[in-house]
Amino acid sequence: MRTIGKALGAVLMLAGLSLPAVAQDRLVIAGRDAGFAPALAKMVELYQAKNPSVKIERLELGGGPLYERLAVGAREKTAATDVAMLDDIWAPEFMARGWLTDLGTVGGLPGEFVKSAMDVSRHDGKLYAAPFVGNIAMFAYRKDLLAKHGFERPKTWSDVVKAAQVIQDKEQGVSGLVFRGIKGNPIVTSFLPVLWAHGGDVVSADGKAVLDTPAAEKALTQFLSFKALAPKGVETYNATELRDAIQQGRAAIAVEMWSSWAGTLDGSASKVAGQVEVVASPGEVKGPAPMLGAWLLAIPADSPNKARAADFIRFVTSPENQKLIALETGNPPTLTALFNDKDLVAKYRWYPAQLEALNVAQARPRISQWARVETILGDYLQLALIGQLQPKQALTEANAQIARALSR
Amino acid sequence: MTASRRLLPWLLLTPALLIFAGLTLYPLGRTLALSLFATDYGFENAKFVGLENFQELWDSRFFRQAVTNTVVFTVVATVLEVAAGLGLALLLNRAFPGRTLVMTLLLAPFVLSTMVVTAIWRAWFHFDLGFLNNLLRAVGLPGVPWLFDPNLALWSIVLVDLWQTAPFAFLIIFAGLRLIPQDVYEAARVDGAGPWRRFRDMTLPLLAPYLFVAALLRSVDSFKLFDKVYAMTGGGPGQATETVSMFVYRQGFRFFDIGLASAAAVVMIVVAGLLAVVYAASLLKGAGR
Repeated sequence: MRTIGKALGAVLMLAGLSLPAVAQDRLVIAGRDAGFAPALAKMVELYQAKNPSVKIERLELGGGPLYERLAVGAREKTAATDVAMLDDIWAPEFMARGWLTDLGTVGGLPGEFVKSAMDVSRHDGKLYAAPFVGNIAMFAYRKDLLAKHGFERPKTWSDVVKAAQVIQDKEQGVSGLVFRGIKGNPIVTSFLPVLWAHGGDVVSADGKAVLDTPAAEKALTQFLSFKALAPKGVETYNATELRDAIQQGRAAIAVEMWSSWAGTLDGSASKVAGQVEVVASPGEVKGPAPMLGAWLLAIPADSPNKARAADFIRFVTSPENQKLIALETGNPPTLTALFNDKDLVAKYRWYPAQLEALNVAQARPRISQWARVETILGDYLQLALIGQLQPKQALTEANAQIARALSR
Repeated sequence: MTASRRLLPWLLLTPALLIFAGLTLYPLGRTLALSLFATDYGFENAKFVGLENFQELWDSRFFRQAVTNTVVFTVVATVLEVAAGLGLALLLNRAFPGRTLVMTLLLAPFVLSTMVVTAIWRAWFHFDLGFLNNLLRAVGLPGVPWLFDPNLALWSIVLVDLWQTAPFAFLIIFAGLRLIPQDVYEAARVDGAGPWRRFRDMTLPLLAPYLFVAALLRSVDSFKLFDKVYAMTGGGPGQATETVSMFVYRQGFRFFDIGLASAAAVVMIVVAGLLAVVYAASLLKGAGR
């Protein structure tokens, strides 16, 4: 009965997903959709050309569905995935639960990677993932508009508010700033650089909920003041809306600009090509704390094709392919040397600044419950954003919920 | 009647009963059992917590809001869709030039996938660039914050649902309308009954079973609302469009808090059961009349 139960559970939960892979020369690669998909697609195409006998299947999923597929697969030991693309915030859970293969046992990983991206790929001294996309939350502003109104690069979030207010008042049809207000991961990642700059945090180094502090309240109050400077409907804005607002000249400042989105800023689709400066986030009480959002490649512990998977990962993270990916798809690399590569800098003028940001990047808390903590925080941030809760009440309630989540 | 003859119906029913037990009763029983445990997946390492998960749901402002949203959406969407379906059926029951074209256009939204529908409506609802607000501004009216006003967001989703699924209610009701014998109306006309009287005393009673079926099917579907909310608002702004299905999904598949998700699912089953009782009572009352 127990076996039947497990089987039924697996069938129900994995409805529509692949059947377990059979050990043979094949690869099942589960990766992200949207801007990340062309990079993996290109690598699959090149790897397939070099290895025509390997049967490769590439899955393209949104962030949430990808996490669910990988987590359910790991729990059920479905052996359905050989190469998994992981957000760095999922990595602590996957590594701590023993769901990933120690890359040291399958030939290791050559290359000098950005340290912050490497740090989030390790657990207990072992390397469980390869940094694949050197994503980092940057800050973007229209240098022409700021200069026109007598502002330099904002050093603090208070400077940002001042500049945004003046531009909004004086420039017809241009919002002062734009951020991602949709609940969940987007609003949280918009808020965290502000919180950290104020000296606040969500979870302390020893794993305690620490959101109900005066520093966090100041940060949230300031973050909420952004709404009056943003386009109407910012509560529903995600990456596409934010990028469009900047590229079409409808907003002067982007509170966050992920480096994988920035690739098209100077392209033909942009009405403000060459006018947008991409730099590390401002500080406030503390210095800038740019947020790391690296994407990693890992081999699930139950993969039946580990050697082949490791070979593919080494292929993808080789200098020539990392450069190719950056040039052709705009996905930033993770190998340190490439940020000063002349071809790449010629195409992406902000790469040296991005390397500086990556070197001081702050990762989100390395806890296995982050997915849940982030959702709780996102819910309460949005309740505050739409005016249904005062900042202090939102933080107090969120803190209590986060403390409960951390205790489970 | 011999024993073997008495047993024959049960023997024939056995495969169906086994499938029903395996696919319906077992998951239901398992969900009920899991709702009494704190567990991040199945029963391995699960800790019995009795009714604690239900207590937590009761204390959760998010869950209470999700239940309210779900019930409001179900009732409002069902009533509007059946009313719209009835109106359209009456309209299209008359011959007029271009009726085939109108009917084709009317049915088009129903054959689209929900993801396509939500993509279309997200673009239409855009505050600055959306078709709906541009239309309003063209006649001198201000733009409407369709999806980001917490007081409007759920109604905006009702509007999308109405657009997509009123044609379904229309199909059922239209089929019923076509089955009403025309000589009944002719007799009523001879007796001097006007259009309103004919509609109230003849069309509505004769259509009642079809209206009932349309309402039943639409309310069951509305109660499970997930995809439109997931794609259009993610449950926001705030908790304005969060439904019980979304709550269960997030607890179960994002947080793997299977105990709490199961408890929420049990509550959902109970509420759905209450709806079913209301329908069954109406059905039996109708049958007894």
